[in-house]
Amino acid sequence: VTLGLSQDVLTVSELAGAVKLLVEETIQPLWVRGEVTGCKAWSSGHWYFTLRDAGAQLRCCMWRTYAQRAGRPPADGTAVYAFGRPTLYEGKGEFQFVVQRLLPTAAVGDEQLRLEQVKASLAADGLFDPARKRPLPRYAERAALVTSTDGAALRDIVTVTRKRWPLATLLVVASRVQGDGAAGELVAALERVNHLDVDLCIVGRGGGAQLDLAAFNDEAVCRALAAVRVPTVSAVGHETDVALTDLVADVRAATPSAAAELAFADAADVRRQVRQLGTRLARSLGRRAELLDERLARAGDRLDASMEQRLAATSHRADRLGAELDALSPLRVLERGYAVPRDESGRVLRRRADFVEGAAFSLRVADGEVPSRVRPE
Amino acid sequence: MNQPRGSGPPAAASLAEELDRLEQIVRALEADELDLDAALALFEEGVARLRRARERLASAQLRVRAVLEDADGSLRDAELDG
Repeated sequence: VTLGLSQDVLTVSELAGAVKLLVEETIQPLWVRGEVTGCKAWSSGHWYFTLRDAGAQLRCCMWRTYAQRAGRPPADGTAVYAFGRPTLYEGKGEFQFVVQRLLPTAAVGDEQLRLEQVKASLAADGLFDPARKRPLPRYAERAALVTSTDGAALRDIVTVTRKRWPLATLLVVASRVQGDGAAGELVAALERVNHLDVDLCIVGRGGGAQLDLAAFNDEAVCRALAAVRVPTVSAVGHETDVALTDLVADVRAATPSAAAELAFADAADVRRQVRQLGTRLARSLGRRAELLDERLARAGDRLDASMEQRLAATSHRADRLGAELDALSPLRVLERGYAVPRDESGRVLRRRADFVEGAAFSLRVADGEVPSRVRPE
Repeated sequence: MNQPRGSGPPAAASLAEELDRLEQIVRALEADELDLDAALALFEEGVARLRRARERLASAQLRVRAVLEDADGSLRDAELDG
C-alpha cells in the first residue's frame, strides 16, 4: 500500500485545529433560536446543553461568567434566543456553540417585536442602503462627539485621538446615552451637530456588562443620525450586539477607541507622506535647475541681452526657491553622503553612548531608510 | 450659527486639499512637460503648500471643547470641565 504523498499528511490535531480556525474565522458571533434540552449546570458554574429544532441539534456550552448573568438553567423545551460563536471542541471533535447570552423567547417577545418594526420602517425609507454610505474624510480636523461627558467613550476617544491625530479639535455635544430621556437628548444633540463646522460626527457610548441599547435603537435617534450633514461613525461600545444606529451610520465601529482610529488618520503616516512629497519636489527642481544652468551657459551666442537678463532672473528665482526648500529639508545634506541614525522610536542617535550593543536602529540616507544593528564587540 | 475655523485665513485649504494639490504639483513637475516659467510657479506653490502642511502637522495639541447652548438657542464652545 502506498500513500499518495503529493500533500503533507496532517495529524488529527492539525486537521481539527485547521477546521476550528476556519469555523471561527468565517462565522461571526450570531443569534440562534431553538429549544433547550438537557441543560446541566456543573459545579464549576459552566452550563452544557443542546439546542434543537425539528431538523438539527447544536451542542452548546456557556461559561460561568455568562451563565451567572443568565440566571437559572432553562428547563427542557424552553424556546430561547442564544447569542454566541460556533467553534470546534478539538478534544472531542465536536462542533460546538459557545453561548454568551440566553434569552427566553417569551421574555424578549415585545421588545424584539418593536425593534423589528422600527428596523422595517427605517429600511423602507432606505436608511440602511449601502448606496447612502458616505466615505469618511481622509484628514478630519474637527469632529463632533455626541456622547455622555462622564462615560468611558469620551475618555477613550480623547486618548486615542491625542496619540494618533493630535491636530484635531473635538467638539463634545453632551447627551445622556441610556435611561429615560436619553433618546430625546441624543436627537437634540445630533440636530446641534448640523450647526457646527465639523468634518465628521461620532456618536457612541462605552461598553458595559448590562448594556442598554434602547436609545441607540430608537427610531427618532436613527432618523436624526441619518440627517446629520457630515459623515457619521456609530460606536456603541459592544463587540457583539449591533444597534440600529450602527446600521444607519456611514461607518460602524466596534468600540469608541476603534471609532477614533477609523475617524482620524495617523499623524506619523501623514508626516511620512509629506516627507516623501518634499523629497520628490526637491528632485523635480534639481532637474529643472540643471536645465536652467545649461541654457544660461548657452545663452550668450543665441539670445539677446533682454532674454539673457530674463533667464538670469528666472535662474535666480530657482536658486531662491531651492534655498527655501533646503531650509525645509535635510535632504541636501543627505545627498552629500551624510546619514542620520535613529532608534526604533525615531530618536536621533548622536553619541557613542546612544548605540546599545546589539540594538536595532535605522539609517536614514538620501533615498530611504537602511535597517541596521549595532555589532557586538 | 456656524462657527469659524480656528485661526488662519478664512479660505484656508484643508490638509486634504493641501496634500492633494501637492501631489498634483509633484506629478506635473516630474512629468517634465511644462515650460520653465510654469514649472517654477508650480514649484513655488509646492514649497508653500509643503510648508503649510508641515506647520499644520507640527501644531499638535489636541483640543477638546464642550458645545454649549445659550439661552437664545445659539451654540458656542468652551473648555470641557473635568
